[in-house]
Amino acid sequence: MNDTGTMIEVVDLHKRFKDLHVLKGISTSVKQSEVVAVMGPSGSGKSTFLRCMNRLEEPSSGHIYIEGIDIMAPYIDINRVRTEIGMVFQSFNLFPHLTSIENIKLAPISVRKISDKEATDRGMALLDKVGLADKANVYPEQLSGGQQQRVAIARALAMQPQIMFFDEPTSALDPEMIGEVLDVMRNMAREGMTMMVVSHEMGFIKEAADRILFLVDGLIVEDGTPDQIFNYSKNERTLEFLSKII
Amino acid sequence: MAKPTSLQTNIARLSDLKDKVGHVPFIRRNSFVYGSLSLIVIYALFLLPSKGSPETIDLGRIVLFCLLLLIWAFIIFTDELKSEKLKTVVVFSVFIIAAWLYYRYSTARWGEMGYLFFNLEMVQKAWPTLVEGFWTTLLLAVCAAIMSTIIGLLLAIFRSFDNAVLNFFIIAYVDFFRAMPIIVLMMLIYYALPFMGIRLSAIVSGILALGLNSSAYVSEIFRAGFLSIKKGQIEASRALGLNPIQTMRFVILPQAFRVVIPPLVGNYVASAKDTALASSISIIELLKAGLSQKSLLANPSPLIFVTALYLVMFVPLTRFSGYLEKRMKESQRQVRL
Repeated sequence: MNDTGTMIEVVDLHKRFKDLHVLKGISTSVKQSEVVAVMGPSGSGKSTFLRCMNRLEEPSSGHIYIEGIDIMAPYIDINRVRTEIGMVFQSFNLFPHLTSIENIKLAPISVRKISDKEATDRGMALLDKVGLADKANVYPEQLSGGQQQRVAIARALAMQPQIMFFDEPTSALDPEMIGEVLDVMRNMAREGMTMMVVSHEMGFIKEAADRILFLVDGLIVEDGTPDQIFNYSKNERTLEFLSKII
Repeated sequence: MAKPTSLQTNIARLSDLKDKVGHVPFIRRNSFVYGSLSLIVIYALFLLPSKGSPETIDLGRIVLFCLLLLIWAFIIFTDELKSEKLKTVVVFSVFIIAAWLYYRYSTARWGEMGYLFFNLEMVQKAWPTLVEGFWTTLLLAVCAAIMSTIIGLLLAIFRSFDNAVLNFFIIAYVDFFRAMPIIVLMMLIYYALPFMGIRLSAIVSGILALGLNSSAYVSEIFRAGFLSIKKGQIEASRALGLNPIQTMRFVILPQAFRVVIPPLVGNYVASAKDTALASSISIIELLKAGLSQKSLLANPSPLIFVTALYLVMFVPLTRFSGYLEKRMKESQRQVRL
């Protein structure tokens, strides 16, 4: 099952919410160090797709393999799987009762069981990497949106995941703060992180994405490089969507 | 000087008023305030009828006094330039004078009332019993509170696992103990359980009954506290790899704590008052002590004193919860979105 380098394999993924059939059979795979962007109109199932892959939403049917492991299997410890996948949310979801560094330290200490000192060192290095070393002892309430999101990215990276998911990371940010978050994401892509990004940021996608999955009504209608999608797409829905946003 | 905006008062100082109107109106001057005050005082000392129920003519003098006093207070109150402190003092004084007038002229038998309800000699006689009752009530209340908090929290945590079987039992427990009258529960534990081989002392029975009843409410309070936490928090925590127990411990509970303190303290106070029901299984708690002393001494003063003792027990508790809340506010903040 496990090709060297295939990080994620999705086979015929379906997701239903009561009567609503959101994902109607998604099949794709993501290789190591690939940066895959997921685009599509609102309601197409992009976020649901991402959230199914770390089982924040339970898939209705289909198979998902993370690093060759079938995460739908009954004996699977989903918490272990989730430590391999870092997730960044649209609404940041930082823990308000903890400072930045405490937010970052929490999971490594509780889940990976490393020492407080090592977790703090690692956390400070990550904060430095996202440019917020001076905000280590500050509470989320006192940070701007862009700063909060960068702390959230550092928090996800602290678990040293193999894969990073981004669910519309800049959609809740004021325009002037989007740049600083995209910079961090660009650096991560450059350093070889496997990333799946749901986003509308065309500039970032054109520059950093290796592949774009275009989702409409719960199905992948196109799968290609940015060049292919933006310049040579023949698909009617793709063209319609692109015309609206460019 | 900058021109004041419409949001500011145009009259910042008395001198401004003077400039605006040309002179300070008579009633606003300090001389008027103090002068009229001294007139009112003289009236009170010499012109008001003496103590006791007033005749019809005297009634007029009293009413006139009240009117003058109220007008005086009104003049001060509507003055923008007078300080808030002064106005507070004036308002309190009016209330005190009203109380004094009532005391002076009503046909209440103050002396008799004092002998019956505020009789310190009687309270002294009753004191040992009352103190014993106080400690008993405190013991019941504290133990029941601890027990109900532990049980209630555990129930709420189990409920958060969303397991159908577990939920069924928890909901049954909560419905049962919320509906069950505490007296009946106490009697069942104290009088009926011995037939099943479980013999508990009266105090333990009382604590158990109070604790079980209160725990049902506490579990709902914690459950509401958990629900108040944004779903994204739990998602972020699980996405990091924390299991449900860790999520509860590090993410949910710390945040829920601040939210649950007011209703929780309310529950403790209500539960502490329910300790009075323990007298039904022959526990001498505070209220029973007061009632029994009242019968023994044929004087209700001990009962009034019991009220004071209840206040002594509760007011520090509620003030402490206010303090806790304030401290939480400084260390916890909500993410604004």
